[in-house]
Amino acid sequence: MLELHAQFGLEPFTAQPITLMDSLGEELPFPAPLLRQLYRDLRRARRVDEELPTLLATGKTSFYMQVAGHEAAQVALAQALRPGKDWVFPYYRDTALVLGLGLPLVEFLAQLMATRADPSKGRQMPHHPSSRALNIFSVASTIASHIPPAAGTALGAKLKRSGEIVLASFGEGATSEGEFHTGLNFATVQKAPLVLACQNNGYAISVPAAAQSAPVRVVEKARGYGIPGYLVDGMDVIASLVVAQAAAEYARQGLGPVLIEFLVNRFGPHSSSDDHLRYRTQAELAAEQKHDPIPRMAVFLRSRGLWDDTAEEALSQELEAELDSALLQAEASGPVPPEWLFDDVYAEPTPLLQLQRDLLNEETS
Amino acid sequence: MSRMSLVQGIAWALEQEMERDQRVLVLGEDVAKQGGVFRATDGLLDRFGPERVIDTPLSESAIIGAAVGLAAYGFLPVAEIQFSDYVYPGFDQLVSQAAKLRYRSGSAFSAPLVLRMPSGGGVKGGHHHSQSPEAYFLHTPGLKVVMPSTPRDAVGLLISAVRDPDPVVFMEPKRLYRLIKEEVGPDLAPLPLGQAAIRREGKDLTLITYGACTVETDQSADELARVGIEAEIIDLRTLNPWDRETVLNSVAKTGRALIIAEAPSQASFASEIAAVIAEEVMDLLVAPPLRVTGFDTPYPYAQDLLYLPGVTRILNAAKRSLDY
Repeated sequence: MLELHAQFGLEPFTAQPITLMDSLGEELPFPAPLLRQLYRDLRRARRVDEELPTLLATGKTSFYMQVAGHEAAQVALAQALRPGKDWVFPYYRDTALVLGLGLPLVEFLAQLMATRADPSKGRQMPHHPSSRALNIFSVASTIASHIPPAAGTALGAKLKRSGEIVLASFGEGATSEGEFHTGLNFATVQKAPLVLACQNNGYAISVPAAAQSAPVRVVEKARGYGIPGYLVDGMDVIASLVVAQAAAEYARQGLGPVLIEFLVNRFGPHSSSDDHLRYRTQAELAAEQKHDPIPRMAVFLRSRGLWDDTAEEALSQELEAELDSALLQAEASGPVPPEWLFDDVYAEPTPLLQLQRDLLNEETS
Repeated sequence: MSRMSLVQGIAWALEQEMERDQRVLVLGEDVAKQGGVFRATDGLLDRFGPERVIDTPLSESAIIGAAVGLAAYGFLPVAEIQFSDYVYPGFDQLVSQAAKLRYRSGSAFSAPLVLRMPSGGGVKGGHHHSQSPEAYFLHTPGLKVVMPSTPRDAVGLLISAVRDPDPVVFMEPKRLYRLIKEEVGPDLAPLPLGQAAIRREGKDLTLITYGACTVETDQSADELARVGIEAEIIDLRTLNPWDRETVLNSVAKTGRALIIAEAPSQASFASEIAAVIAEEVMDLLVAPPLRVTGFDTPYPYAQDLLYLPGVTRILNAAKRSLDY
């Protein structure tokens, strides 16, 4: 079987989530530079996340969705893929995933601010990033609607024999949608190289997993399609990476789709429009903080002599500088011009759109 | 050259395009071994093999969604929905993914797919094999919508649809699939989308139609000619973008317009055309534009011929317009 399976004794459908960080010995599971990179990616996504309330408060964006608590699963997924080759179909909370794949921070922030530096031209609400260069598919807000297209792209990769694989990322709420099932069924019938990554944070906005899904464990849904399903501690970046790599390798070998359920926590509300204290307690939120993947990884690195206060300080300064510069660039590119409203409906504007463009010009001139 | 029915023309055009461009592939329910329930993909599996002619699970959301993903990846998929009445489970894929992908990504991604679907009534199919759902598609920016009425148009328009950079809903009037045959062959040039055809010239009244209703519209124009009324018939062929210029020029000339289509009237494409005529050439009208449509009921089974806008309904509307 796969090398990673052999090395870590990974089996699908474990009763308990796969977790590694706290039980590993002195021998490093990955080379030291990669371990430090994982930590850096976790911290970087968190730093961007922390800036979002300020962007809202200063009117630079209209809305935000925070990733805090999901970073380890996403950083691991990004690291398991080949950016610009493999295709990624993210959902709205995938900040750490897209940044980990190399989406320029300026583009991410410009998308939030809908400025000219946004490659999608200010057409989407915040947290709908995409990148043609990185094969990061454009996010639709309609939950699970990206899964059938991901299955189609995976079939395309198989037909072209490109060796590329496809990742579809989503929350547990998405697995109640028909399109989760129709896309998964299609990909399985076609034995397409599709990795389905569920980040189960226990809540679809306010609806808890127990009211969402029978069975509560998303991974069980893989059984019905005869594909492997891995349950993993998504707050453990090392276990998450081991499983993500194994899943990617499974798809790459042409064995068909594979599902991963990352158990994660959503530290914040669903979005800036949500008040999660209507359906969660302070005690529950406080308890979740103990699993925070960032301090966990810091302890792991420090205990092995791979990290210290100097490195932490240097990283903090680097992240501040990068964020400051990216914010300036994103903002300085300026608001999108009115005439962009009519571009890209079709490759060429129709006569009707030309008439309406003239109408708007009259209004704005 | 050989004489082909409309459905044979569809299969022939697909074969030409698949031969011309390796990126073109066909997918849908029963499209491979079966050759499609109407035989619109007949012979393609033998010619191009199972990697380019793909039988899918019975799931319209998977068919349309997979076509979006294949198109984004560089293929030119031609997906079949077995009846247009079955498109609804795939509606999210059509509206949220196919139609919006180019716009929401600033053209970084696009979905150059064709979604073929037999449409319309008159085949004793009841509610769920007879509807004309074009208005839903026409209300969705990002989709193009085509409905041919002749074998030659079907070939020329389908070739253009396959080559078009945007998603095209290609509606096939199933009542006309085997009604007439025309000469079809390699000399046939692609027919640009967005151009109507003037089927008959006349000075007294403009009859605007598309798809299967071209048959009864033509018969009605014959009846009118017997009493000395010269009707002009416009077959729109492409419903989005539709040929406003040809329609408005004709109505400006005749001053009278009927819009004939079998879909229900409320919020229909016929309503849209009537509104544009009223907005643009009101001063030149001698009668209000009139919609001649199916009724606003679900499509009936036993009384389906009573439902469809036939010659009597068209002539009654023509009389109302001419007497106005």
